Amino acid sequence: MTHALTLLLCILGFSALASAMTRHQQELFQRTLDPATSRRLRAAGWLTLLLALGIVVARQGWGLGLVSYSGHTSVGAGLVFIALALRGSPLSGR
Amino acid sequence: MSATPPAPKPRGLRRSMSELHTWTGLLLGWLIYAMFLTGTVSYFRDELSQWMRPELPAYRAAGEGPAVADRTIAAMRTLAPRATLWSIEMPSDRSNVVSVSWRTAKPPTITFLDLDPVTGGRLTARPTRGGDFFYAFHYQFHYLPAYVGRLIAGLCAMFMLVAIISGVITHKKFFADFFTFRWRKGQRSWLDAHNGLAVLGLPFHVMVTYSGLVILMHLYMPWASLLAFKTPAQRQQLTAQIAPVIPPSRPSGTPAVLAGVGDMVRQAEARWGVDQAGRVIVNNPDDAAATVAVVRGEAGRPSRSPRYLLFNAAGTMIGAKDDVGPAAETHGVLYALHLGRFADVPLRWLYFLVSLAGTAMVATGMVLWVVKRRQKLARPEEASFGLRLVEKLNVASIGGLSIAMTAFLWGNRLLPIGLPGRLAWEIHLFFLVWLATFVHALVRRHRQAWIEQLAGAAALLFLLPVLNAIVTPRGLLHSLAASDWIFAGVDLTLLALGALHAVMAVALLRHTPQPRRTSPRTLAEPTLGPPLPRKAIP
Repeated sequence: MTHALTLLLCILGFSALASAMTRHQQELFQRTLDPATSRRLRAAGWLTLLLALGIVVARQGWGLGLVSYSGHTSVGAGLVFIALALRGSPLSGR
Repeated sequence: MSATPPAPKPRGLRRSMSELHTWTGLLLGWLIYAMFLTGTVSYFRDELSQWMRPELPAYRAAGEGPAVADRTIAAMRTLAPRATLWSIEMPSDRSNVVSVSWRTAKPPTITFLDLDPVTGGRLTARPTRGGDFFYAFHYQFHYLPAYVGRLIAGLCAMFMLVAIISGVITHKKFFADFFTFRWRKGQRSWLDAHNGLAVLGLPFHVMVTYSGLVILMHLYMPWASLLAFKTPAQRQQLTAQIAPVIPPSRPSGTPAVLAGVGDMVRQAEARWGVDQAGRVIVNNPDDAAATVAVVRGEAGRPSRSPRYLLFNAAGTMIGAKDDVGPAAETHGVLYALHLGRFADVPLRWLYFLVSLAGTAMVATGMVLWVVKRRQKLARPEEASFGLRLVEKLNVASIGGLSIAMTAFLWGNRLLPIGLPGRLAWEIHLFFLVWLATFVHALVRRHRQAWIEQLAGAAALLFLLPVLNAIVTPRGLLHSLAASDWIFAGVDLTLLALGALHAVMAVALLRHTPQPRRTSPRTLAEPTLGPPLPRKAIP
């Protein structure tokens, strides 16, 4: 359960961070968001990642929690990377 | 969004680091790739060993520790009555064998054997190295003295560490390109993939490379400890800080039947929790001066620093190792982080996936080296001997290794059970098939070689669960129905890896050279080899 929740939060966090970036805004929304929205997205992304850290450390302790967190952030960021890449894929029909 | 053309740059730090990265990465890249991939599958070493012994049912630890210990001690009395030391690796939910070893003094020998946890007798399963083969290969290779293999592996790890650090310095837009992947841009796309795989898994890549060096540091850099610890007693103390070793003691010569080891295991479990006793070491068995150490298992504790309880021949607890110095604890933590044996199932999957990403990072780096040089050529015929050689080595060390590793598992299912030297033949088969993929890469055109080897690996991976269902009673449908997650997990992972290879083969087959708008010199130039014949384009 802790693992699923942490991974979910990491995916959400990295998605927010990616959508705070101009390049990915162009891809996702076909326009750039205004700087205030981007800032809020970035803050929300970091806060979500911090929340994930808090949860996994609270449940598993610092030693195990940090190892889990490192794995979840890598896999979470990787999934966002893959999702964005697939969206832009020449085979995706877009 | 424009592809940045390689503009002439002043030769600064980044440029130097880029060259360092390119050449450290290339020189030992093939070995590093093999270490990374065999190391990655070793996160499921025990599961793979179980899959490779289909005769042996899964094992549930469930508080059986004391009984298993007693049974195994009884077996050791017949197997090795004259040994000076018995070591018993307890079975667990992951491992369904008791791995024992014993030492004799005259002549000095050490013998390893796997026993059945239920009967305490010898295994009735097919002889195989199981997942231990990939595990041992990833740090000492094969057909070499272990010492030499480990030195080579250390050199590779050092190159890898240099490549990681120089790679991070070389990377121009670490954060700006964090999620960036640009399709159909040839070299740029490969670089994006390489960067993505490297950056997203960076904490793991640094950890696993550095900890790999630390684990074998006494082999690679023995001088400091040789200088600091001169007497055997001091060395003994050093070893006692990093591994569970009982202080050596002379046998008294008076025989005395050892007190019940099951009781000792029970006491240890009362302290650490049920099923947490991982190993039992008996010094001078059945002597009045016997000592027994019950060592804590690895589950749930991200450190391998020694934790054990010490008992005398009468079964009285005479000591407990509960802590070590900070340096030894650091060593223990790095060791444990590398092996990941403390991890529960989800965490072990994270280890596997991120390690697989690291493997792909090495592979994309090696392909990138070729693509970059290919794109500079006006015509493919201009490719130098060196470039062609690297291309061919890439095919066989990336595509070929997938085939060879799968062939190892095919051999496990197909070699006759009674074949003399069967255990060794599984391994010979791995190397013979790998060699064949090198020959194949040499004789086939580059592009064809890639497609055929990736498709071959995909076919072998896909068909292996089918073969498993035919030649064993533990096929995928059966194991799913019986909730046999180890067998189902291995079979499903094989299918997923088969799909991965199939996707790569199909992508390569459908890949058509894109005229690059930004750079006319690469017109109609495919990124992986000579131009595609028009008829092959779907």
